Amino acid sequence: MIVRLLLLALAAALAVLPFVASSHLIFLVAMIGSTSIMVAGLTIVVGFAGQISIAQASFAAIGAYGTAQIASMAGLPHWIGLPAISLITAAVGYLFGLLSLRVADHYLALATMALCAIVQLLLIHLEDWTGGAVGLAVPPLEIGSRVMTRPVELYAVIMPCAGLTIWFLHALSTSRIGRAFAALRMSEVAAAAVGIPVLHYKSTAFALSAFFGAFGGGLFALLTTYLDPAQFGILESVRLIAIAVIGGVLNPFGPVIGSAVFVLLPETMGALGRYMSLVFSLLLLVFVVVSPQGIAGLSARFRGLR
Amino acid sequence: MLGQILISGITAGAVYALVALGFVVLHRGTRVVHFGLGDQMTMSAYLVVIAQVFFDAPFAVAILISLVVSAGFGIAIERGVMRPLRRAPLLVMVIATLAIGAALREGLRASMGPLPWPIPFLMTPAPFSVGNLVLVPANLAVVGIALAVMGGLFLTLRYTRFGRAIVAVYENPTGAAIVGISVPGVHARLWGLSSVLAAVAGILVAPLITLSPDMGTIGIKGFAAAILGGFNSLPGAIAGGILLGIAETAAGVYVSTAMKDIISYALLIACVLLLPQGLFGKAEARKV
Repeated sequence: MIVRLLLLALAAALAVLPFVASSHLIFLVAMIGSTSIMVAGLTIVVGFAGQISIAQASFAAIGAYGTAQIASMAGLPHWIGLPAISLITAAVGYLFGLLSLRVADHYLALATMALCAIVQLLLIHLEDWTGGAVGLAVPPLEIGSRVMTRPVELYAVIMPCAGLTIWFLHALSTSRIGRAFAALRMSEVAAAAVGIPVLHYKSTAFALSAFFGAFGGGLFALLTTYLDPAQFGILESVRLIAIAVIGGVLNPFGPVIGSAVFVLLPETMGALGRYMSLVFSLLLLVFVVVSPQGIAGLSARFRGLR
Repeated sequence: MLGQILISGITAGAVYALVALGFVVLHRGTRVVHFGLGDQMTMSAYLVVIAQVFFDAPFAVAILISLVVSAGFGIAIERGVMRPLRRAPLLVMVIATLAIGAALREGLRASMGPLPWPIPFLMTPAPFSVGNLVLVPANLAVVGIALAVMGGLFLTLRYTRFGRAIVAVYENPTGAAIVGISVPGVHARLWGLSSVLAAVAGILVAPLITLSPDMGTIGIKGFAAAILGGFNSLPGAIAGGILLGIAETAAGVYVSTAMKDIISYALLIACVLLLPQGLFGKAEARKV
């Protein structure tokens, strides 16, 4: 009951915000929204399904670059291009999941890490498609004849998507698929023994993570209007993992909590600016060592393994 | 041409082999894959620069300082992070080592700046030719030192109490504990040892590429080499490193330099997916 009231209050605050807040604050909240969609994918694959993935930044990159280039090369509007590229990325994620049947744990981490490095190198070297190391300008979102570039207009597009994503995470965690993911997280062998098709669900987890990664990445592209390949490397993947872990990987609201911390903290601690990335890396380390409760379900996974 | 490719490939391969050894030495004893090892290479090279530039230490002393601090850093990771996490699931350990790597990289970027620093060569980089082969003393020094370090590692493991305790833990941790070997103590040694191997690799490779906070990305090559070698065999790690170095150099010559890194990463993925036991390793039974 209290949770519902809090949620209602939060929704009301978010609805009122565009009318009262400065355009910078609106931009920041929209940034929290798009980041939390990217992180939601990671929450599914790392938190719910217990698989490590260091490739989330590349899924975001495919979504971001895809959204920009479908609009500028094929001339399709973003409201077709963004969902289309997200579905394509989900298919890629599903295929990657199928290939990962034989590998687990750190081998999976290595494979996803290499995938991330390859995608970033391709972004730099396939200059005709991606603009190369210089970067790529993103065509603005147009709905009808209206060009939407102001933060408040993008806010109105991004926040409902973020809300739906959180609702989806919540629904997923209590659904049949979510329970299969939980079984997978506890023990793959035990899950297979009770008749759960492990490969299918692993691939589904990767497909969902790719979908949200690409969708969040596309919205991020619209919001920042310029893409730089340096934004989509392994470090960005680690940053997304940090957001997911600090927010709590088993909590549907984890991505939002983590993103809020990561977007707002640098804003309020301007003097520390240069050291912000260091602070976040140390924060991740401290969270993992001192407060494994931030990743509560993972200790359950360990008990399942014993 | 082929001879030249072999020579350049072996230079790069010797460095990859050292990093791969660092991964394998640690993983065989502790089951941990240290995702921050590449960034520890960067840290060690920066330590040499810091000792030289800010404390006016001679080159040899600077290297010594860097090796000692690196070993201490490795042991500190074991004590401060991995020991509290020893009962945690692998996923948590992976995230912890990723965080260590990211912290090192971002710490160096914040304190030393994003631009490259000059670091001295071990020998002159001026090439000379023998027949129709072009040899570079600096590169030969890299290969020579890497070989010496590997030889030293094997002698240590074979003939010293220090090394034999490590081998005992590799073979059977419970048995080693029963005969009075401190397993946590060996884990600390392994962290120190693997950090020193990475430090040597970092100091060797830094003058050949550029010393910037992002140099640690080269650690992925060490992963690829270790995986080619099966991830549980020390000779395999060396063979994997040399093989990767040659394959990569050949790809650079015959395909394109831009594709060089992409090819070695793709090799890594293909190897993980199709040949997880590597070229030289034994398939391991997975614990349920």
